[in-house]
Amino acid sequence: MSHVRELIGAAMVAGSVVAPLPLQAELNVPIAVRVVSFLQPPPSGVMPAAIVVAPGNAASLADAAAIERALGGGATAGKATLRTKRVPVTALDSLTGYRVAFVTAGTREDQGAIAAAAARSSVVTITSDDACVQAARCVVGIGSGARVQITVNRAAARAANARFGSAFLMLVKEI
Amino acid sequence: MTALMLRRALALGAALAPIVAAAPATAQAVDYSALEAMIGEPVTTSVIGKPQRASEVAASVTIITADQIARSPARDLPGLLKGYAGVDVNRWTAGQSDVAVRGGVQTYNARLLVLVDGRQVYLDHYGLTDWNLLGVQLEEIQQIELVRGPAAALFGFNAASGVVNIITKRGGDSASARATAAAGDHGFSRLAGTAMLPLGGSVRARVSAGRLREDERRLPAGLLAPTPIVDVAADQVAGELSARWGTTEAVLGGGYASNEQIEYLPSQLLSNQHYRSSNVHAGLTHDTPWGGATLNGYVNWLDADYGEEGSDGVNRVSAPIENRLVAVKAAALYRLDTDDTLRVGGEYRNSRMRGPAQFARTIAYDVASLDAMLDLHPLDRVGVSAAARVDRLWLGQSGVIAQPVLDDPAAFDRAFTRLSFNAALVVRTSANGRLRLNGGRGYQLPSLVSFGFRLPLAVPTPVPIVITGSPRIRPVAVWSGELGYTHALGATRLEATAFYTRTNDAIASPGDGLEPHLDLFLTPAPVLAARFAAVGDYATYGTEWQASGRVAALDWRVNYTWTATDGDLAGTTLPIPYALAPRATTPRHKANAALGYDGGRWYASALARYTSATRQFAFSTLQQLRLYRVDDAVAFDARAGYRLSSAFELFVAGENLSLGDGAAGSPIPADRRVRGGLRVTL
Repeated sequence: MSHVRELIGAAMVAGSVVAPLPLQAELNVPIAVRVVSFLQPPPSGVMPAAIVVAPGNAASLADAAAIERALGGGATAGKATLRTKRVPVTALDSLTGYRVAFVTAGTREDQGAIAAAAARSSVVTITSDDACVQAARCVVGIGSGARVQITVNRAAARAANARFGSAFLMLVKEI
Repeated sequence: MTALMLRRALALGAALAPIVAAAPATAQAVDYSALEAMIGEPVTTSVIGKPQRASEVAASVTIITADQIARSPARDLPGLLKGYAGVDVNRWTAGQSDVAVRGGVQTYNARLLVLVDGRQVYLDHYGLTDWNLLGVQLEEIQQIELVRGPAAALFGFNAASGVVNIITKRGGDSASARATAAAGDHGFSRLAGTAMLPLGGSVRARVSAGRLREDERRLPAGLLAPTPIVDVAADQVAGELSARWGTTEAVLGGGYASNEQIEYLPSQLLSNQHYRSSNVHAGLTHDTPWGGATLNGYVNWLDADYGEEGSDGVNRVSAPIENRLVAVKAAALYRLDTDDTLRVGGEYRNSRMRGPAQFARTIAYDVASLDAMLDLHPLDRVGVSAAARVDRLWLGQSGVIAQPVLDDPAAFDRAFTRLSFNAALVVRTSANGRLRLNGGRGYQLPSLVSFGFRLPLAVPTPVPIVITGSPRIRPVAVWSGELGYTHALGATRLEATAFYTRTNDAIASPGDGLEPHLDLFLTPAPVLAARFAAVGDYATYGTEWQASGRVAALDWRVNYTWTATDGDLAGTTLPIPYALAPRATTPRHKANAALGYDGGRWYASALARYTSATRQFAFSTLQQLRLYRVDDAVAFDARAGYRLSSAFELFVAGENLSLGDGAAGSPIPADRRVRGGLRVTL
């Protein structure tokens, strides 16, 4: 059974490499914020959240602006309040101190570096780019369809030292 | 508790201890509200014990959300349930309702398991549900889950035809309160409220209370009825403390409720009842990387005065009953893989009934259970689940035995074992379509009443007649299967289901024309015994068609249920020996259409219901059990509300505005009930 899944997963990753890059949708921010509330232990207080952007990439900047608009002055995730700040892909060392990072569209070329920095700093990365999750470079992927689909990459979560509640994991697709 | 029972309890406790310690439990601490908000649809654990999207479960499940409850014209839980497919809601009197799943309509329906946050709230001495004695207010309900079809492999005895699982709201980090004050015609008044209070750290408290008054419906001439007839009075208060440490949560709570109302007994005699119930409950949940563990325990006490003030129809006798239920449950949910889960659990129950109208002063049973559920996903689009549960019951009696003795006391020293199981297959046929096939076998446990009740009829007869239970009566086996298909078209959801349910050895209360069924005891003074008995088998089958959706500020749902019933029971020609005739009492056709609008300040909702004609049991003033025709009916319910602010709302609501006599499904015609009130949310 797990071989079947691995083959399917490998095919999907390969497909994402071979196929033209799909147009990435904007991150569904309300759902991303709710995902944060299922981290264990539950976050509380003011929680800094990074928005990882690629300077000069229009899609990335637009996504970052959309995330900031959606969050306004701060969004509540359970007992925590998210405060966002942009972190450019050129300064990923500054991810230190964050617990969560929203990885914007248009950063695919830098996802390897983002994953490495996130793992070093134990940052949970959340994105709308499913390929990033399939490739174990992002921890959480949020689909853009009418039906909410959330994917969690176990390896990426382990690397980021992230743990979610079991009820949450039973409702999402874990790979 | 006798020494024997005590020894059994200790032995069972010792047997369960390793399970509790090593393998933990059922559902973990599930924040239904947060999960629903995240995935955009309700979440349930009622089908296989693990959280699932409502659209992906391998069973017929209806979930009524807090928002739907708040905008519904219904004034109580049966009123909420009546608008959905596959259920029959009979409002026998103003206060007494029965909910039957997929046929088998009867009073004191003992085939539906009703839970509040996992705690049994049906009354264990008969297995009936008094919906005015649940101890929970509509204002504190997060969602109501209705599982159609046996779920005994997960929940045990009496989830034989379905489960109603009521999930209450969890408090947030700030104080909140909801309250409703309403008044209407027919003497209706209701005050209810709930408050959630953070007490510092991760400790929270919740309190709730309610008071309901309502006049009884007008009884038609020709029906046997007690004098006087009591009106509905229900009062409830409950409280709960919860605390969370990391991934562990503990809950401790209790409550008290009382209810007085007139009811149809299983014999179909109308009788004034007064119930008083109380409970204490505690639970511990622990979330781990491999899944979750739960340990729960509760004690329910009931004092029931049947035939209050000698009002039990013509009998003019009272039958007080005390019932105490002790239950301890432990379970663990293991994630075997990213998609696959295993759930194991154990349960111990002791239920004890005491009163003068019994074979002996105390009739009791102990039940020990073990269950397991496996949920596998061998392919991305295929899910398979299988569950099994073994229940072993020990029956017993103690104390003074009523004279003359109609059964060998040793007949109560009895034990039996039953295996329940469910299996299901779900196949995702396309991006939007799901096919499910499931089935199983569950059991309805004979109630303590049907085992050991005993009440002499006060009606003068040449030889005295005693209504009595039977210690030899067997559990009722319920087999079921269903095939269903769901399809999503954007925001529209379509569902079609075909079902088949077979009930073996259905239990019924003695009725009329008992001569062929009476046992003669030639004690020094001869006595005739009329017994609760297994009166035969029957099957129900049919289809359920449902569609629902949302367009802008409008939400809608329509459903149609066709139910056919086959089987030979005691018969419906006069004189009728037993008050059970599901073919006559279950409507063949039901259709519902609901429409809701929420425009911000204004909201409105309406429900139109069609129910085909049935015949229902009642005693005539000639003291004869008869089937009375209940006409088909179109009932129209509606509610409109205006939000003065985010905190205050005015509303007006009415049920059966179309004045359909048969809308209640009762020999007592339905009336129109209108109310208005104020709702406060802080």
